[in-house]
Amino acid sequence: MAKDKIRNFCIVAHIDHGKSTLADRLMEATGTVLKRDMEDQLLDSMDIERERGITIKLTPATMKYNYNGEEYTLNLIDTPGHVDFSYEVSRSLAACEGAILVVDASQGVQAQTLANVYLALDANLEIIPVINKIDLPSADISGTKKEIEDVIGIPCDEACEISAKTGLNINSVLDAVVKHVPAPKGDENKPLKALIFDSYYDSYKGAVSMVRIFDGKVKAGDEILFMQTKKSFVVTEVGIYRPQPVAADCLTAGEVGYIAASIKNVSDTKVGDTITLKNNPIEKPLDGYKEATSVVFCGVFPLDGDKYQELSDALEKLKLNDASLHYTKETSLALGHGFRCGFLGLLHMEIITERLEREFNLDIITTAPSVEYKIYDNKGTLFDVTNPSEMPAMATISKMEEPIVKMEIITPKDYLGGIMDLCADRRGTYLDMQYIDANRTKLIYTMPLNEIVYDFFDKIKSLSKGYASMDYSLNGYQQSDLVKLDILLNGEICDALSLIVHKDKAYARGKALCEKLKEVIPRHLFEIPIQAVIGGKVIARETISAMRKDVLAKCYGGDVTRKRKLLEKQKEGKKRMRRLGSVELPSEAFVTILKLDD
Amino acid sequence: MTNLGLYIHIPFCSKKCDYCDFTSFCMGKTEQNAYLNALFTEIDLVKNQFKNKTFNTIFIGGGTPSVVFDGFILSLSKKIFSSFNIAKNYEFTIEVNPSSFNEKKFKEYLQAKINRISLGVQSINGAVTSGVNRAQTRAQIDAAFNILNIAGFKNISADVMLGLPNQSINSVKNTLTYLINNNVKHISTYTLQLEEGTPLYKKVNSKQISLPQDDFVVKQYNEAYKILTKHGFNRYEISNYALPNYTCQHNLKYWNNVEYLGIGIAAHSYVDGTRFWNTKNFNTYITQLSNHKRPIKAKEKLTKQQKITERIMLSLRTQNGLNLTDFCKEFNMDLLKTKQKQINNLQKAGSIDIKNGYLFILPKYFEISNTIILELV
Repeated sequence: MAKDKIRNFCIVAHIDHGKSTLADRLMEATGTVLKRDMEDQLLDSMDIERERGITIKLTPATMKYNYNGEEYTLNLIDTPGHVDFSYEVSRSLAACEGAILVVDASQGVQAQTLANVYLALDANLEIIPVINKIDLPSADISGTKKEIEDVIGIPCDEACEISAKTGLNINSVLDAVVKHVPAPKGDENKPLKALIFDSYYDSYKGAVSMVRIFDGKVKAGDEILFMQTKKSFVVTEVGIYRPQPVAADCLTAGEVGYIAASIKNVSDTKVGDTITLKNNPIEKPLDGYKEATSVVFCGVFPLDGDKYQELSDALEKLKLNDASLHYTKETSLALGHGFRCGFLGLLHMEIITERLEREFNLDIITTAPSVEYKIYDNKGTLFDVTNPSEMPAMATISKMEEPIVKMEIITPKDYLGGIMDLCADRRGTYLDMQYIDANRTKLIYTMPLNEIVYDFFDKIKSLSKGYASMDYSLNGYQQSDLVKLDILLNGEICDALSLIVHKDKAYARGKALCEKLKEVIPRHLFEIPIQAVIGGKVIARETISAMRKDVLAKCYGGDVTRKRKLLEKQKEGKKRMRRLGSVELPSEAFVTILKLDD
Repeated sequence: MTNLGLYIHIPFCSKKCDYCDFTSFCMGKTEQNAYLNALFTEIDLVKNQFKNKTFNTIFIGGGTPSVVFDGFILSLSKKIFSSFNIAKNYEFTIEVNPSSFNEKKFKEYLQAKINRISLGVQSINGAVTSGVNRAQTRAQIDAAFNILNIAGFKNISADVMLGLPNQSINSVKNTLTYLINNNVKHISTYTLQLEEGTPLYKKVNSKQISLPQDDFVVKQYNEAYKILTKHGFNRYEISNYALPNYTCQHNLKYWNNVEYLGIGIAAHSYVDGTRFWNTKNFNTYITQLSNHKRPIKAKEKLTKQQKITERIMLSLRTQNGLNLTDFCKEFNMDLLKTKQKQINNLQKAGSIDIKNGYLFILPKYFEISNTIILELV
């Protein structure tokens, strides 16, 4: 195929600005998918994606489009809009020459619009601004254009004005892609050079690599070499996405598609790796990607201890299609065997735990999310601590550092005060405030990541009635006065409830935790003191007194059956409890610490 | 052979208390008459099955058995004595509400061979009882005891409720002292249960009324234990206290796995290892019996595991506890072995003990008996 008739592009946008709907319309307009086969948000293949209206995985689609009597091949790569998945965004950008920037005309430029467009600019992509949702009564087309010009610095004279929902002006977007996105460079006569921008596991084809071919060509029967892993395989099938995978004879320079080679492990098809031919290799691989770094960590345990193996299998399967999920074995005194998992962010964590429950039918307990702390001991040895139970004894610590993020919040000015108070409360350091227009302001703060992993996003949303948006990026480490807050139940540490918190927050948090636990732990044979402790010092205490009053009920008219059934129900409930020393903990206990009201 | 217990349910009240979810209706003489006839029919339908058995306890409960028309109880009693074999040293109890009790009724009960009267006092504090819409006054309580004490009637029992809204510890103490001074020989202390669908449930849910905290109810319970044991009462079962020789024989049957026959609406029976219970619907009850059909709603043939659960659950509510030898013989299972770990832990915690072949919960731990029982079933 002639390279000058190929366009590789992606769509970037803030979450909810209509990215996936636009992708649907583009496929419809190019006849890639017939209208009657159309399912909303076609590229979002997971139930969770469709239900929540978010894109998590990136998915490519190849479309044919006639422009001025010539047929063009347009390769679209959908990208996730949420901050957690900017890693995936940056991957798809490397496979493209252009990006459609979608902005909701009723909402204007939002925090993740900026974050994603900057990623695209960094990757030297041609940006095509598209103003979406112009059918809405609240749409402000000229204002939105001005914002894009002022805030991002992209001229908007030729911006497409569309409604992805109604299909209005969709062809103008396709025309702009052909006109403005550069054709891919590359030489099909050179040795094969292909970048893996994603991979997944298919039960029939094995691990499949999604690739962008930069030079050369590849077909079934070729022996390919993965330059990073140094493993080689014989290609069984190549193809493109329409958006379902369709086999093709050959993939050549400039094209986007997939390569299958009966590979058993997804870890062999490493995202960012370069594929070349075994007998005619290139000398230097492409610049890969940084590995996805886990930002948020938590323990995941089966509710029923016997289900450990099932949880293990489920995580392994999820990992096949989600390279950014990391997990290692963890053993907790309270929760038994489970896993310490690392996630890209809170949404990622929520999605993975939800998928474990829905797709694998597992009941799981997750512990409070933590971040990665850098702890130095007296000898200067560094410990990366992602699990409070691994924190060294306070006396041996010489220095502690916690991850800091640069936080950008765009909010209507009515909510500025409340949001600034929240940021201050979360130990934020004010950096800057910029006016986007008469009504909206961008706030820039640095703040510790551990202050936002609980409920910061929810708080921002509720403080601003949903109008504010936020984006953050990791911004190094900062020395901090941290303490490990332990919870003692009946004198014994419950490791699964331990937290690392800032010293100034420890007292309030400990007190709230004790109060909440008192509510959820059932009464036992004995009084149970609940204590919040920092390095041996008790900072808060509650007591669960021993008793259950239901035992004193009258046995009306000899109705023993009712009593027995009640007892049987309680016994059933008891099976679902976790035993810690002499105390039994219901699974809610672990959830409560995620849901502490400030 | 062990004698059986007989329970008769009288499902009538003058007014329903806010917390009650038990089967009772506010109905007049016509319905009461129909009900009495139905009771007679039910007795006739079952009596042959029991012709070789002897009952040594009879318990007329409710509802409020004292609200029925004069003569009802006497004719019921005659029917019972003419239909079943009643042991010589029987115990025959009737539940009475002070608000519907009088001299005439008392005489009728004596004539009916009733030898034990259980007064539903609950609390002598009028503000507490009216708070849950219980129809009774302090004067009516005084009058009821006057009648019994002047007549020299000995076997008096009283029910006291704990955990009522706005019920102080002192109010519980006062009620108990009052009962002791009025020669009550047997006292039951039950805790208020909040049952779905009751007026109280709605009031609590809509925050019109708040119930005392568990901790506070436990204080009341322990205070009751203190006062009553000081006055010579023995807590023979978790919620029941008696002076020597006044233990309720009928009540004990429930806890000691002795069989009993229940007659009347919603009455529960335990016969030949099967538990069954009658319909709760008034019309169904009357209609079924007018067609000479037994008004049984459901039966439950207990599995071995269910029997074991019940045996442990029921007997551990008593002071004596579980007879390990009998248990072992009946279920061919040595609890000391099958639950060795749990029993050891409980013993270590000082909550149970084993003596003379009985495993029992120590008095201090009665208030959490459920937790202990859960370990053992």
